[in-house]
Order: sequence, then C-alpha cells, then structure tokens
Amino acid sequence: MATLIEVQNLKKDYPMGAAGVFNALKGVDIKVEKGEFVAIMGASGSGKSTLLHLLGCLDTPTSGSYLLEGTPVHTLSQDELAELRNSKIGFIFQSFYLLPRANVLENVELPLIYDKIPPSERKKRAMEVISFLQLETHAKHLPNQLSGGQRQQIAIARALVNNPSLIMADEPTGNLDSVTSQRIMELLKKLNDMGNTLILVTHEADIAVYAKRLVRIKDGIIISDEPIKKD
Amino acid sequence: MSSAQIKKEEIFGLWGTFVELVKVSLRAIMGSKMRSFLTVLGIIIGVLAVVTVLSIIQGVFASFFKEFETMGADTMFIRPNYEMFKSHVEGIRRLKMTYDDALYVKENVPDVKDVAPFLMSSDQISYRGKKDSTQIIGTTDSYITVNNLGLDEGRFISSVDVATRRKVCVIGVDIIDKLALPPQCIGEEIQIGRGTYTIIGVQEKKGGSFGQSQDDIIYIPLTTGVQQYGQTVANQVFMVVQVKDVKKMDDSVDRISTALRRKHGLKFGQEDDFRIFTVEQVRKIIKQFTSISTLVVTAIVSITLIVGGIGIMNIMLVSVTERTREIGIRMAVGAKRRHILYQFLLESVTLSTLGGIIGLLSGWGLAHLIVFILRKSVSETFPPAYVPIWVVFLSLLFAALTGAVFGVYPAYKASRLDPIEALRYE
Ligand SMILES: Nc1ncnc2c1ncn2[C@@H]1O[C@H](COP(=O)(O)OP(=O)(O)OP(=O)(O)O)[C@@H](O)[C@H]1O
Ligand SMILES: [Mg+2]
Repeated sequence: MATLIEVQNLKKDYPMGAAGVFNALKGVDIKVEKGEFVAIMGASGSGKSTLLHLLGCLDTPTSGSYLLEGTPVHTLSQDELAELRNSKIGFIFQSFYLLPRANVLENVELPLIYDKIPPSERKKRAMEVISFLQLETHAKHLPNQLSGGQRQQIAIARALVNNPSLIMADEPTGNLDSVTSQRIMELLKKLNDMGNTLILVTHEADIAVYAKRLVRIKDGIIISDEPIKKD
Repeated sequence: MSSAQIKKEEIFGLWGTFVELVKVSLRAIMGSKMRSFLTVLGIIIGVLAVVTVLSIIQGVFASFFKEFETMGADTMFIRPNYEMFKSHVEGIRRLKMTYDDALYVKENVPDVKDVAPFLMSSDQISYRGKKDSTQIIGTTDSYITVNNLGLDEGRFISSVDVATRRKVCVIGVDIIDKLALPPQCIGEEIQIGRGTYTIIGVQEKKGGSFGQSQDDIIYIPLTTGVQQYGQTVANQVFMVVQVKDVKKMDDSVDRISTALRRKHGLKFGQEDDFRIFTVEQVRKIIKQFTSISTLVVTAIVSITLIVGGIGIMNIMLVSVTERTREIGIRMAVGAKRRHILYQFLLESVTLSTLGGIIGLLSGWGLAHLIVFILRKSVSETFPPAYVPIWVVFLSLLFAALTGAVFGVYPAYKASRLDPIEALRYE
C-alpha cells in the first residue's frame, strides 16, 4: 500500500502572551496509508483539532516534518498550502461551515471555483456528487432550509467534489442527534469502502468504532495507535 | 492536450472566477440593500451633482455653438457685438447689421468669395390642420454653397427667389414628420406664421450634434423673411463669409473688419459693433470652455469621491469582519490570498460603480427636471440638458476607481486572515 501521510516529531506551539508558549503538540509521529480510516480520540484540549489542522494543511507546524504523498508540506507557503487543500483535501466540520447566502449547488461547487474549472463542468461535477448523496431535490435550497443532517451531507458533498486524496472530519456528528449521527457515519464508512482515505476526530467511542484504526492522544502526545477489531 | 487548449481553459477558468466573484458581490450587496445604498450615497450625490451641472452647461454650450458646427476652415461668422452691452436684449435693441452690410462686404472686399447672410426667427407652422413650430432661417442662394449643405430633393432658394421675395421654402427632414407631409412634398403648400409657402426643396439629413437636431429647420428667402418678420429681425442679419484663400485668413478678417467699420461709420478708436469668429477662434473658445468644465468636474468629483470612498472603506471593513467565517471557509476549500483580495476588491468596485450608475441616472433626470422648470418659468427656449458621453464614462470610471482605491485596505486585511482563526470566528 502507498503511504499518504508521513509525520515525524511534529510540534505545535501557541504563543501565550507574556507567559511564553503553550505546547499543543509535543512531538507526534504517525503514518497513514492510502485507503485507511483513522479515528483520533482524546479529551477536550488534548490537541486533536490542532493535529487535524496540521495534517489538513490548514496550519503550519512549529517544528517537525510532514510528507503528504511524498511532498514535504511543512515548508510550503500559505498559497501553496491553499492549492494543496484545494486539490488533495476535503474538510468536514462540526458546524458544517456552509456559506449561508449560497444555495446547496453553489456550496458544493465552491472548491471547483478555486480550481479554475469552467462553470458548466463545475455544475456537472457538483450535481454528480449531489446525486450520489441523493440530495438533488435540495440543490436550489439555502442551507438554513435544511436539517442538520442534510447540511452535513452537503458539507460532505463539498469535501468530495474535488476527488481529494484525503478527507478530514473534525467531530462531524458533534451537532447531530444519535440517529442522524449513525447515518452520517454509515456514509463516511461507505466512502472509505469506496477507497477514500479518512481521518476522523471525535471524543465519542461509538462514533470512533466506524473507523478501522484508533489513535488516542493526550496532552499533545499519541498514547496509543492500534487497529479496531470488528466483531 | 495542446498548449492552446490549456490556455483556453485557463482563460475560461479566469472568466468563470470573475463571473463568480461578481455574482458573490452582487449577492452581498443586495443582501443588505439599505446599508449598501447608504454606503454609496456619497458617491451617488457626487456623480449626481457633476452630471446635473455639466449636462445643463453642456446643453447651453451646445445650442450656442450650433451655428459654428458646420463652419469650414475658409469661412468666418459675423454677428453684432452683443457683448458691448450689459444684456443681450439691449444689444439687440441698439445694434444693427443688415442684408446691406452683407452685400457691401461682398462688393468691396476682393478677398471675399461669397457671403451668406441670414436672419433667424422661430414660428408656428401648419399643414392641413397639423400644427407645430420650428426655427426659420431667412437667407440667400449663397447659403447652400458657403455652408456646404446638401439637398435630398428639389432645389435651394435662388437669387430670383430673393430678388422677387417669393414665398418658397426648403425644409429640414424633421419637418416632414412634424407636419405629417406626404412623401412627395415638393410643391405642397405649408403655413409659416401668417404666410403660405410652397416647398421647393428638402435638406439632406444632418443629424443631431450636441444633442440637438439640425433638421428641425425651414429656410426661406431672406427678403421674404424681412417682409414677414419686420425691421427688428431684419436688423439682426448674421453672415457667413467665405474667403478665396484660407492661408490669408487673418488679412481677410482685417480687411472685412475695416470695410464694416467704414459702412457703419465708426470713428477711429471706437469699438467694433460686430464680432468676427473664425473656426480657429471658435475652437479656442470651445477649448477654454471644456477646460473650465473639466476643472469644475474634477473639483466636485475629488471632494465627494474622497468622502464617498471613506464611507465605502468603513463598510467594507465591517463587512470583512462580519464575514470572517465565510473567508475561513473559502480559504479551507482552497482560496488563495489573492482570491479573497479580488473578491472584496471587486465587491467594493461593484458597490461604487452601482452608486455611480444611480448617480448618473438621477443626475440625468434632475437636469431634465431643472430645464423643464426653467422653460416654464424663465424662457421657453432654454436649451435641453445634454449629457456628453465623456461625462458618462468619466463619472463611472471615477466611481469605480474610488471603490478600488478605498477597497484595497479592507480587501488586503481580509486576504491576510489566518484560515483557522477565521473559521473559529464567532
Ligand atoms: N490559536 C490558539 N492559541 C492558543 N492556544 C490554542 C490555540 N488553538 C488551540 N489552542 C490550545 O491548544 C490546545 C489544543 O487545542 P485543540 O483545539 O487541538 O483541542 P481539541 O483536542 O480539538 O479539543 P476539543 O475536543 O475541545 O475540540 C488547547 O488547550 C487549546 O486551548
Ligand atoms: Mg477540537
């Protein structure tokens, strides 16, 4: 299997005013192969989101190295990171983060706009993903006309539309009831079965079990990393 | 894929991005109409003021210079020196220039090739119960050659018409519509004021210039005009003089001036009671006028646009703060800094340009309203307001530029946001 992510001794410090810095990540090593489904668990403030942001090229580490598909990422500029996010990474967030004034189709199209895809092609590809998620009837609706579960599905469609190598989900079910949460997780699992690589951050055990591998993090350090045994 | 294809796709992508950005801008602007309106009010008022003032001035200017429009380089225009008196009305009462003066110039100055004297009036006209009014020019056969006029049909006024004071007329093409004349109108009789005239010719369409039609006109023999409109009009005969050698224009002007002074019995040291305009002079006056207009425009524009621009900058800064989350989302899915920069820059340019358009339209409307009121209260012949195309372009350009200049800082600020902090922003 091909290696997708290779991280060595990754550290992230946040400045804390006059008091110096806060070490949010204290040296993380992790390797993720293509096609994996990794869940990252840990207490609040343990550094899960910080790690996810670094892996998702949203932020740059204080030190350490990060190879994404063999490319060193830790040395890239903001704009180069933006290009990487655009072509290789899809994000799913706890609060969906859809554009409130844009309709469903336009929201899903968004990553393609920054990839210079012509409008007609953009619409076509966005509609394909929307159809795959069986949301065609909502294509012209605004996000606030949809339920939380539907909104998260739209966000998933947006994450998929650019055929990313990696899908990042930060507590995707955090704002959803348990039934809807199960549905969303089934969907993510299905995406993984289709060959997508997923990294999921959660602090709920019954959400983490959908993944194939569980990484536990505590105070900025990985304390365990093992496959999830299915019954 | 060939390189041409790649290029094409790239351009297409850029265009797509541009269209997308305009759409996003309009959505943001329309999302809070009242706020957007108040934001660009400064720009609206600025453009409105400029357009109103200029279009009224330009209208007056256009009607003043209409006479000189068709002047050739070898011609000069002579009229009484109304500027000698405090008011134009007093000038008309005290000054005299007649058909005789024109004949005198033609006979006594060897440089002169031809002279076209003309008097002007306006009058009621009618044909089979259809009534209207138009400008009347009383002139001679020389007028058509000196002024380079063309005819669609028939003939122009002849020397015989002038000598025998015949009641014939040559009409501009607008008159056909105004009086609903039949297509073959030569030989038809129309009523001009108290007199009945036979149409002998139709002038070639000249079109409008400076916003006024030059086809809304009727020519009659000068002598017939004197008979019909009386001494007051007969004493205000203007003339267009054509010289033989355009290179000796300045000398010719001097000799004509001397001849007219002699004819008018002016003593040494007395001021000319007539004025001679050559194309060169008219050009100079137009240039002066234009530079004054430009100065006025620049002054109003710069003041209001700075004020308007500050308003835009203020609102754009608020808008960037309000939409921090949106900026974060866009960055997360791959927007580069310049994408965000362009988005907000374009939004502020769109906003200010919309303000410019509103200002332009309302200025146009206001100018026409003012002219309408002036016509009711001051003078019925007040020239129509006229917005030259350069005013349209200039005001829109300045409005857009204001948006660009004052939008740079907010847009730059937006583009420098950190993606994660922007996403977290509540
Ligand atoms: N921009 C920042 N400036 C300063 N400290 C930060 C910043 N971002 C995160 N931190 C700190 O780093 C630590 C890790 O934060 P992180 O968001 O990664 O936690 P998390 O594991 O995702 O927690 P949660 O489950 O609550 O989302 C926290 O203590 C947090 O206060
Ligand atoms: Mg978190």
